[in-house]
Amino acid sequence: MLRAWLAWVLLAASAAASAEEAFVTNQLSDDLTVVDLATSRALATIPIGGKPAGVAVAADGRFAYVASPDGKAISVIDAAARQVVGRIEVGGGPLGIAVAGDGATVYVADWYAAAVRVIDTRARAVVGSIAVGTSPSGLAVTPDGRQLLSADRDDDSVSVVDTASRTRIATIKVGTRPFGVTVDAEGRRAYTANVGSNDVSVIDIAGRSEIGRVETGLRPYAVALAQGHGFVTDQYDGTVSVFDLATLQPIKRISVGDYPEGIAATADGRRIIVANWESNTLSIIDAEALKVTGEIKVGDGPRAFGAFLRR
Amino acid sequence: MRVVLKALAATVALAIVTTALTAAWAHGPTRRKVQQQVTINAEPAKVWAAIGNFQDMGWLGLVAKTEGDKGNEIGATRRLTLKNGATVDEELYKYDAEKMSYSYRITAVDVKVLPVTNYSSTITVAPGADGKGSVVEWLGAFYRGFPNNDPPPELNDEAAIAAVTGLYHDGLEGLKAKIESGS
Repeated sequence: MLRAWLAWVLLAASAAASAEEAFVTNQLSDDLTVVDLATSRALATIPIGGKPAGVAVAADGRFAYVASPDGKAISVIDAAARQVVGRIEVGGGPLGIAVAGDGATVYVADWYAAAVRVIDTRARAVVGSIAVGTSPSGLAVTPDGRQLLSADRDDDSVSVVDTASRTRIATIKVGTRPFGVTVDAEGRRAYTANVGSNDVSVIDIAGRSEIGRVETGLRPYAVALAQGHGFVTDQYDGTVSVFDLATLQPIKRISVGDYPEGIAATADGRRIIVANWESNTLSIIDAEALKVTGEIKVGDGPRAFGAFLRR
Repeated sequence: MRVVLKALAATVALAIVTTALTAAWAHGPTRRKVQQQVTINAEPAKVWAAIGNFQDMGWLGLVAKTEGDKGNEIGATRRLTLKNGATVDEELYKYDAEKMSYSYRITAVDVKVLPVTNYSSTITVAPGADGKGSVVEWLGAFYRGFPNNDPPPELNDEAAIAAVTGLYHDGLEGLKAKIESGS
């Protein structure tokens, strides 16, 4: 019985862990570290340039897209080959980035313009622009690909964009200075980390309204979802705030590295990966036990802002 | 011509006001880091005694006066008045006497004084590598002074790094000279 259980655990563990990787943008060392999450080892360092910050890995794992605000460009990375295979000039200050589920379209927020640029990934060219609010930061596409959410930091709101017509169809007021935005797997709710009000706004996407607010640590940056919990990086506190997605009550603060920023849940929902900008590390959190189980060294100034896990 | 100049002056004044109002939040795209250290021929406890009081930054040569509240408690504040008359407001967010380290943020400074925004800093005293003397490490993290795209040279990332590096270098060398000369 025990042996069978052990075998099952080992099998499950290896299956769940297979080939999952973190694509971590290191803004100050101007590169990207690829980390194998099964072995907790850095596998490759890919030079990028232009102070890379935003990152989005396509759902099929073939390409990763990296936004470099100083370089005013998007780098296209062949994820398996660990190589930059294309560069798309977008101008402005590209920061937040998201790729649609089918991999055909990439959206890039221009931090300095109230606009999201639309990239056709096959043509590797900007094919459109969407007017949103001021200082668009985080972006997220709903699972059906029909809507794009933009956290418009300096408007204290989230824009909802119809991706077919590339127009803003709604604006939802949230807390002060929303930065990261995360949509749940069902496309029902979205969560923004509000840097200015030190809380998370919970959005009913269909209802186009904020339905709740959860207190976090100081300067929350982004949100990950797993095990019925929300996990929020608190830049100034060096913690991850955990809250219950059903009751919206805070559960715990977990100490991680200094100045945590990008955060994401592994595909199996068992681990939370956090990029610590000041410490130059990733913290690995056990999403059930709610504690840090590992730390991995990466480059200088890791941001990993976006969907940075390759599944 | 005169009218145009006046209108221009008004526009510039408005732009300055707007910048001042938004400076606390708006920032450039890349947060930068600076690290400097110095070896001092004195026991760590002696060095800590010289710099460990958040309410006295007199060890930094360009500071004329330190005034503040709440001592070394988390959340303590201080206003540094520099010898040139400029002021810098700061707030303590970490303090560990045992580790001889503290961290603070600038809550208000003119970018003409220090061309940075969203600045945080940590200063730590540790024993020297050979067990003798002390090493003081000063770390800073900040965005450049100009919050928008395409910054002017005096407010770009390089200017911010140069200013903080110079401040730390001169400050630490001054501290070393002060302690080693026994003053």
